[in-house]
Amino acid sequence: MTSKIDYHQLIQKDKIHGSIYTSDEVYADEIEKIFQNGWVYIGHESEIKEVGDYLVREVGRSSVIMVRDKNGLVNVHSNRCTHRGNMLCNETEGNKRNFTCPYHGWVFNLDGELMDVAYPGGFDKPLDELRLQTLTSDSYRGFVFASFKEPVISLDEHLGNAKSLIDRSCEMSPTGKIDLKGGWVRQRFDANWKMLPENDTDGYHVNYVHQSFVMAIDSQYGEFVGTEESIQGVIKDWGNGHTEIDFSEGYAKTLDWLGSTPEKVKSYVDSMHEAYGAEKAEKILFDGPPHACIFPNLFLGEMNIVIFQPTDTNSAVQWSTPMFLDGAPELDFKLLRQSEGALGPAAFLLADDASIAERAQKALLSGDPWCDLSRGLNRETTDADGVISSHMTDETSNRGFWHHYRKVMSGEG
Amino acid sequence: MGQVSHDVAHELEHFIVHEAKLADESKYQEWEDLWADDAVYWVPAKEDDDPAQKVSILYDNRTRLATRIRQLKTGYRYSQLPVSGMRRVISNFEYSEQAEGRYQIEANFFLPEFSIQSVRDFRIWSGRVTYLVSRRGDSFQIHMKKIVLVNGTEPIPTLSFLL
Repeated sequence: MTSKIDYHQLIQKDKIHGSIYTSDEVYADEIEKIFQNGWVYIGHESEIKEVGDYLVREVGRSSVIMVRDKNGLVNVHSNRCTHRGNMLCNETEGNKRNFTCPYHGWVFNLDGELMDVAYPGGFDKPLDELRLQTLTSDSYRGFVFASFKEPVISLDEHLGNAKSLIDRSCEMSPTGKIDLKGGWVRQRFDANWKMLPENDTDGYHVNYVHQSFVMAIDSQYGEFVGTEESIQGVIKDWGNGHTEIDFSEGYAKTLDWLGSTPEKVKSYVDSMHEAYGAEKAEKILFDGPPHACIFPNLFLGEMNIVIFQPTDTNSAVQWSTPMFLDGAPELDFKLLRQSEGALGPAAFLLADDASIAERAQKALLSGDPWCDLSRGLNRETTDADGVISSHMTDETSNRGFWHHYRKVMSGEG
Repeated sequence: MGQVSHDVAHELEHFIVHEAKLADESKYQEWEDLWADDAVYWVPAKEDDDPAQKVSILYDNRTRLATRIRQLKTGYRYSQLPVSGMRRVISNFEYSEQAEGRYQIEANFFLPEFSIQSVRDFRIWSGRVTYLVSRRGDSFQIHMKKIVLVNGTEPIPTLSFLL
């Protein structure tokens, strides 16, 4: 179905129309074009280590099962029995030898093949006609993405320049692997889902929404709330809707991003030197992990992995888990506590982001519908790879998100 | 674990009701003053989660608890501006005497919250709360307060008030 919505009118270079956050018609359209037909982040391979390990995630209006099959490969299936549409898995994670529908006992193997039908005498269709719907899936360094439709572009093309962001997250570990075994906290926002990726790479709000945090806590973020001239962070549009706040320019010393020192985490520092050599290890330990959104629903939130889940026009859920590093278990306790401090409904940061987003969701319905998005247009620079950079407080990241969103929603890619 | 006398149970209940009232009324400093130096204020996602391995909704030691209160008192903690209206009911008490002169209190709670900061939702929070307290002066101090929400593994809205 061709959409009647004119996204070029609603999304302009320097402004966006508020209805893009509040319209049920827009929401239904983006569930189809972004969350059914495009690449969506599902989960990380480290979450399903053993054969039969599975987890259930929500993609738009659909529930999916990500499972490791008998050959050790990762499959993503629709969480819906092909018989009468019942939910196969009600638990959010676990281990199974096969999936048995609780309604009439149909049995599917981990590859999604229909293996057995109860009372087969009355059923003469070939079983292979009714296998589970299996999504197109692909992964990059253990990050699994999937789509209900064969996407127009490959995952490699979709990630594009942003593969280097995922590389940077993985290279925080001496083995190059992250391990998402710390469990999840899920926070409900009564606000449109797009405010989550927008806000997570908005470098402008830090000194305002998080003023109480800055006043109460001495943290590395204190380096990013001074005068406009003193803020050294850089905002980046990596293309394809992927965006970043690059804090590395503003850090004062090695391991600022961890709130630690080389002496305090000596075995981690040593193993990084051993793995990458002194020069590269020192650069990684100074620059720290990325703070970047991968379109549409993944946030590499420094030492956290975050997923955005739209639930309806006016609500969304943000999932968060600490990004444990394979080969550096001595950091786990600190990463757990940092994750709780920053993310989730009781955290020093995200609790306030939620309230502010929720106020926006209400206020967007009032009066003049336009939102300004021009900040930084007067001072952006573009490098040879097409990556656009500007001052940390500029809306370059948000424009990057909206530019790609408009392209996808208008059916141009 | 030892049983406690009716008199001690009465004292403990009185203390818990007092703590609940301070939390309901967002009396930040008075509430913070109830805590011992080895405080653990903890809301796990799941009851049997190990906080050394699994992320919690909230896990404060004494230092972080002080930070939490400091942040609430800045006047810019938007998720509690204005403060939520709350009146919690705590019941089904079970008391026991522990080692080192500590008492454990377990109870159910039911907390209606009027979340006034953005959506103006009336919310119900509920769960099981476990306290570890010991005597200090003519009252008690809190060493641990663990709150297991009935819906801790589900998506939950802003929770920056004192639980």
